[in-house]
Amino acid sequence: MKEIKVAVVDDSPFSVAMLTNMLTENGFQVVGSANNLQQAVDVVAKEKPDVVTMDITMPEVDGIECTKTLHKLDPDLKVVIVSSMMDDEIIRKAKRAKISGYVQKPVDAEELTLTIKRIMADEELFAELDKLYYTVFKEALSDTFNKFFHAVPEYRDEQKANIEQTSRGISSVMGIIGRYGGRMILDMSTDTASGIARTLFKIDQPTKEHIINVIGELSNIIAGNACSLMNKSNPLFGLRVAPPTIVYGELIKISNSELNTVTSVKADTTFGEIYMNIGFNRGECE
Amino acid sequence: MSNKYEEAFSNTFLNVMPQFGIESVTLERQTECGSKIDAPGVVCIIGVTGDLHGNVIFAMTDECAKMVASSMMGGMPILEFDEMAQSAISELGNMLAAGACTYLEIMGIKADISTPTLMHGDFVVQASFEQVTCLEMRINDMHFYIYVSLERK
Repeated sequence: MKEIKVAVVDDSPFSVAMLTNMLTENGFQVVGSANNLQQAVDVVAKEKPDVVTMDITMPEVDGIECTKTLHKLDPDLKVVIVSSMMDDEIIRKAKRAKISGYVQKPVDAEELTLTIKRIMADEELFAELDKLYYTVFKEALSDTFNKFFHAVPEYRDEQKANIEQTSRGISSVMGIIGRYGGRMILDMSTDTASGIARTLFKIDQPTKEHIINVIGELSNIIAGNACSLMNKSNPLFGLRVAPPTIVYGELIKISNSELNTVTSVKADTTFGEIYMNIGFNRGECE
Repeated sequence: MSNKYEEAFSNTFLNVMPQFGIESVTLERQTECGSKIDAPGVVCIIGVTGDLHGNVIFAMTDECAKMVASSMMGGMPILEFDEMAQSAISELGNMLAAGACTYLEIMGIKADISTPTLMHGDFVVQASFEQVTCLEMRINDMHFYIYVSLERK
C-alpha cells in the first residue's frame, strides 16, 4: 500500500500535536494541520491528503459542516471524525455527511491506525470494482443475447451521470448484495420485451405473464453471471443477487439514486433498445 | 401463512417513524396478497439475500411520501416530490430495511440488503414470489404499505 497522507483538523493545538505524533509514529505521512475551516480548506487544497482527521467541535462551523465544505473541494477525501463526543445523533449526521469513520477521544493509537488503514484498503477495493463492473455487466448482457439469439447488441450513449429516467414501459430491478450493495435495472418498451418473449417461448402472442417471466429470467442471468465474474476476479466482492422485481405501466419514473458509482448504456438489440443501468454504493462507515 | 420475520419490518417501522416526530403509527392490518401490486404512487424496492431471499417493497401515495419526507427534514414544507424528497424516501427505505435486518439478526436470521431503487408514477409491481405479505401501516391519516416478498433459504 502506498504511503497514506493525512491532515489533522482540530481546534486544540494540543490535540493536533498529539494526533500528529501518533500518526507519524504509526507510519502515516502527516502533510498538514488546521485549527479552523479556512485553514482546513487551505491544507486540503494545497497538500491533497488522502485522509483528514476531523474534530466535531470547531470554531465557526462544526466538524460535519467542515467535512461538507472539504468534500466540495475533494469528493474523494476520506474523513475520520476524532471527537470526545459520540452519540447516535452525531453518528447519524456523520453518515449523511459521508464520513468514512469515527474514533472517540481519548484516541487509542491502534484504533485510529486500523480505522485509517481499513478505509484506505476499502478505497482500493472499491476502485477495483469501479474499474471492472461496467465492462463485466455489458459482457454478461452481450453473452446472454449471443447465447439465446445469436446476436450481440450494439452499445451507445454510455453515461456516468445519475439522472432520473422515464421508463420505456417495463423495468426489471435486481438488487445486488455483497461487500458493496448495488442494483441493476434493465428497462425496455413492451414491444421489445414482447419480441424477446415471442422468440424464447416460440409463441405468437405472449401474455403479460410470459413477458414478465422472460424479462425476470434474462435479468437474473445477466446480473447473476456478471456478479459471478466479478467474484472470480476478486472474491472479496462477495456479490450475490436478489430475485428480480418487475415494474410495468404507463408512467414510471426511475429516480436517480444516491450511488457512489453508476453507469448506464443503451443496447440496440434485434428486438429494440434496452437500457441498462448499474450502480454500487461504498456502504456505511466503520 | 404468517412468518415471524415479518414483525421485524412492522416493528422497525413503528420504532423508526417516531424518531422523525411522527407519533401516530400503527400496524392496521397484515394480509397475504398476490404478487401483483398496484403502486399507489411511490415505491422503494430493496433486494434481500442471506437466510431470507427476495425483496421488500415500500409503497405509499405521493402525499404520504411528501409528508414523511417533510418530517424527516425537520418539518420543512415539501410541495413537490422533488429530488430532495426522493432522496429522503430512499434513505427511509434503507433505514427501514437495515433496521429490520438488525431485528432479524436478534431472531437468529441473517439477511443483507441491496441499495434501494425508487420509482414513482402510475404502474404495477410484480414481486418475485407468489406469496407476498402486505403490512398495512397507518401514519396519521395515511397508509404506508410494506410488501414482504421473501423466502427462507
